[in-house]
Amino acid sequence: MRINDLVGASFRDPSGFLYRREGILYRQVNLAYREQYKQLMQSGLYDDLVQAGLLIAHQEVEVEPAEVVLAYKVLKPQEVQFISYPYEWCFSQIKNAALTTLEIEKRALKFSMTLKDSSTYNIQFQRGRPVLIDTLSFEIYREGKPWDAYRQFCQHFLAPLSLMALGDVRLSQLLRVYIDGIPLDLVSKLLPRRSYLNFSLLSHIHLHAAAQRRYAGKAVTQEASGRTMSKTAFLALLDNLKTGVRSLRWNPSGTAWGDYYEETNYTQLGMEHKKQLIGEFLDAIQPKTVWDLGANLGLFSRIASNKGIKTIAFDVDMGAVEQNYLSCLEKQETNLLPLLLDLTNPSPAIGWQNHERMSFLERAPADAVLALALVHHLAITNNLPLPHLAEFFHQLGRWLIIEFVPKADSQVQRLLVSREDIFPDYTVETFENVFAKRFTILRSATIRDSHRRIYLMERR
Amino acid sequence: MSSHMIILSISLLAGLSSPPTHVRAYLDPGSGSILLQLLIAGILGAFLVLRSSWGKVKTFFSRLFSRDVDKTE
Repeated sequence: MRINDLVGASFRDPSGFLYRREGILYRQVNLAYREQYKQLMQSGLYDDLVQAGLLIAHQEVEVEPAEVVLAYKVLKPQEVQFISYPYEWCFSQIKNAALTTLEIEKRALKFSMTLKDSSTYNIQFQRGRPVLIDTLSFEIYREGKPWDAYRQFCQHFLAPLSLMALGDVRLSQLLRVYIDGIPLDLVSKLLPRRSYLNFSLLSHIHLHAAAQRRYAGKAVTQEASGRTMSKTAFLALLDNLKTGVRSLRWNPSGTAWGDYYEETNYTQLGMEHKKQLIGEFLDAIQPKTVWDLGANLGLFSRIASNKGIKTIAFDVDMGAVEQNYLSCLEKQETNLLPLLLDLTNPSPAIGWQNHERMSFLERAPADAVLALALVHHLAITNNLPLPHLAEFFHQLGRWLIIEFVPKADSQVQRLLVSREDIFPDYTVETFENVFAKRFTILRSATIRDSHRRIYLMERR
Repeated sequence: MSSHMIILSISLLAGLSSPPTHVRAYLDPGSGSILLQLLIAGILGAFLVLRSSWGKVKTFFSRLFSRDVDKTE
């Protein structure tokens, strides 16, 4: 087995690991995890969680293990549509992932099992819902033993949620720096004083940070103290964490794009024409996956997702992603996943050897990319030359549905109001020439009642 | 903050000086984290038991009371 075949994030837990062979994802279960795996499958916990949509399903398969000496079984897990990370999630996505983790732990205890870790990275959004993807996260529960994953739960979930709710929603980006959750002493320092009035935050963040400081580097034994934690106490702790998570709220009003679609300059006719063109282009190419970049509230993403296409709606604004996600929940949409992404500084590869968590570009390509009312923001607000944009989109997908908003448009005029126009090449002719070097332009049309043009391109 | 929350918080702070524990896991659960967890869970568990017992006491008396009412009718 070459180390390159192993999945980058799968090396910490001796219970098993993920690997790819001929493009198919497998999970090896090691002999060290035999008893735990048997209990997961035979106790009814696996069926309970899979039926409730809380755990990813798998099949046991007869293929050669990656590490024969260690192997007990090989599993073929159901593949997740798109791997996303907590620093790409909006507030409610992190909150729902946290509540899902607590629900799984509560159910596990009923079957005499417990989660041995509670990393946000073990949760992924599948068909719109958070689901545990690490089948080997369970260990056998022994009465009296505390929750090993408690520290991780506080750092991975409670920490970002409390900072976002009581501090500033942008603090979720600390998760990009701290791969094992935000250090609690930092969270304690950043939270406002009123957080001391919230019992859950007082105990699980502030006092927790104090306890960590006090016992840092001290070798301690549970046996020596003789302390145990009853199941009632365990359940009370989970209940309190749940209450704590539920009490945290964030309202997206007042963010940069507060008015969202009200700020567009389309006429009703223009808007309908644009939607119609996007629908026609999608029907012509029949993509299986679509990435909508700068998706806002997902108006155009839904043209794709409503056709049954697996669609990701990326936006730089947390408020837009939050509202989009809440709409998805309300409408029970399963083909649309809203995510937070700054295209001018997309998610990097992070972790050990930069291999644990994939960069945005590593997760490309999609079948088709939508870049609607986006180019002027990148080219003018961010001074990105058009050839750089063509190169970027070329890496992202086979097909590109892109809108060019010329200087005559009032939205571009607005961007140029307070700055010198240093963009003599920002013209429809240059745009077409530059993109034609990387793409074949299959179709194009001018949107009614506007100066804007929309194109369907295929990469060369 | 309500009075029982203040009592809880004082018990928590006092409990931080108790002897430490150790649990074997593939991830270090953290000595301070385990200790604090034992303490908080213990207190929350005790409150839960107290609350349910209080419920039983209340139910007992309310039943007694309703029977008395029945008798007088």
